[in-house]
Amino acid sequence: MTLLEVDDLHVEFAARGLDNRVRVASALNGVSFKVEAGEVLGLVGETGAGKSLTALAAMGLLRPPARIPRGAIRFEGRPLIGLPDSAMARIRGRRMTMIVQSPLTSLDPLKRIGDQLIRMQRVHGSASRAEARAKAEAMLAAVRIPDPKRRMQAWPHELSGGMAQRVLIAMALVNDPALVIADEPTTGLDVTVQAQVLDTLRDLVRERGLGALVITHDLGVVAHYCQRVAVMFAGRIVEDGPVREVFARPAHPYTQALIASTPGRIAQLGWTVTGGTPPDLYNLPEGCLYRDRCLRAAPACLVAPPRREIGPAHGAACHFAGEAA
Amino acid sequence: MTAPVLSVRNLVHRFPATNGAVHAVNDVSFDIAPGETLGLVGESGSGKSTIGLLVTRLLSPTGGSIAFDGEDITRASAATLRPLRARLQIVFQDPWGALNPRMTIGRLLEEPLLLHARQNAAERTAEARRLADRVRLPEAALARYPHELSGGQLQRVSIARAIANRPKLVVLDEPTSSLDLSVRAGILQLLDELQRETGIAMLFISHDLETVRLVSHRVIVLYLGRIAEQAAAAQLFASPAHPYTQTLLSAHLPPDPAVPLARHEVVGEIPSPLRLPPGCFFAGRCPIALPACTQATPAMLAVEPGHHAACLRIADGSNLLAQPEGTP
Repeated sequence: MTLLEVDDLHVEFAARGLDNRVRVASALNGVSFKVEAGEVLGLVGETGAGKSLTALAAMGLLRPPARIPRGAIRFEGRPLIGLPDSAMARIRGRRMTMIVQSPLTSLDPLKRIGDQLIRMQRVHGSASRAEARAKAEAMLAAVRIPDPKRRMQAWPHELSGGMAQRVLIAMALVNDPALVIADEPTTGLDVTVQAQVLDTLRDLVRERGLGALVITHDLGVVAHYCQRVAVMFAGRIVEDGPVREVFARPAHPYTQALIASTPGRIAQLGWTVTGGTPPDLYNLPEGCLYRDRCLRAAPACLVAPPRREIGPAHGAACHFAGEAA
Repeated sequence: MTAPVLSVRNLVHRFPATNGAVHAVNDVSFDIAPGETLGLVGESGSGKSTIGLLVTRLLSPTGGSIAFDGEDITRASAATLRPLRARLQIVFQDPWGALNPRMTIGRLLEEPLLLHARQNAAERTAEARRLADRVRLPEAALARYPHELSGGQLQRVSIARAIANRPKLVVLDEPTSSLDLSVRAGILQLLDELQRETGIAMLFISHDLETVRLVSHRVIVLYLGRIAEQAAAAQLFASPAHPYTQTLLSAHLPPDPAVPLARHEVVGEIPSPLRLPPGCFFAGRCPIALPACTQATPAMLAVEPGHHAACLRIADGSNLLAQPEGTP
């Protein structure tokens, strides 16, 4: 079953420059992907590619000056764009939840951990205080926080980064959502802690049959915790497919460059990558947005490339996808 | 063997805290040879950045000694250090914070020359241009201000400033951690070229195992301000001897789904540097710790030539953790 479906999503920001002229930044330029129940989709890309913005749009958290001129977002078949706040509030935090990047600034510093977990349930449901308390404790145990009864009384500042991230996972899952969006869930954590947190998240997603959208810039996280991957560049998905397939046979030149710039590949193949800056979102080039950085760019690239199917459920938005380099 | 560029012996650093002290660096000794890159890895709180600040004498150590280029600089005064800083440079993680926002890139590049080189204005301008070209900054960048450049370009500026006076040692504290993958590769390539051309020695501080493996000749693994293990990069990554190193390497996620994960579980949390446990700092989390491990600080034992680790169990070869089951 398709949980989340994003279709040709455009997001732009309008602002007045110093010369008082309105400038429009085209941040998302036709993002399309689906998250099915029971699967973990990884969304990768560099800074400014629009990963977090996509998540915020899906959660219905965009506010002016951001606007959506085009595109659709459907959750469990229901269109979300234009949904009144009251209806969105019944989905967000209950059916579709989010784990954000900086755990220590995302918890209320003036409330104990247990109370935050209880509040999360009481706001979104009709659980009694006692029920909510019992469930909160069970949830802390499920995210493998030792001695959950005592930890219910802890203040956020008493937690380590890894513990705080576990609490956020507990908050996101306590209302039994169908879909969880994790935005850089382990960025900033140490490797040993990162591994533990990701294991916990993966096990819970598996046990509960959830769908998950994991946003990351870390190809290691995608390689080992996601089943499918979508690669973003300048507000577009340039390639998507099963993780093993995309890593073994990357079809888009950007994906190829991304994989070739991991230290392991550099050690094997030498320095092959030339990095570069993403295009100016205020003044996007015609056609393929990767054109300026692409080694294969040709006159054909002045026309925006459609997604080309190159294998089962594997596609890339490049005129030359699937052809030998 | 040539004399080391940097020689650190029994380095200790404590930061004062309300009740007691943060034991940031605890008895660390190492050498860096000319033209060598020494990688310093560890998790947060391992003391790696503090060591970078100590060896560049931006901090004064609590104990131990630091010799740079044959000269003892442990207690050197600011006046003594000043001329020496031309040869001893540091590049920080955050280039936005490291560069004066009110100076143009051109002026930022001339600044180190102004401090250390006897050149007239025209020579300096020409040299700044040459430096920009060397780190592959477009010439147009010279007239720009830091906020107009990308993170990768700014890090190139920081590197250009560090190499302006032909240093012997550059400390690089997480120089690529705030950069995107493809930009990061460009910076690492630049550092590699610079070292080949000029034979600069580098102390490369990072939490990123893959990057350290790529750039370093030798690697030191730190845990709570103490050296757990040191070896040639290839040796360390192929056959880690210290249980902590084994755990650390097993937790790393290689960016390739075809490489299976085989993870050693870590139990518990890292002890507080305010209250360090007696004996081996890792003993409380180590699956193969013996009672003796909590008694005395383990000595560095040789595993093979040039490969040392501070683990009691190396003595009888029982230091390897049981092979974990591969995760599905």
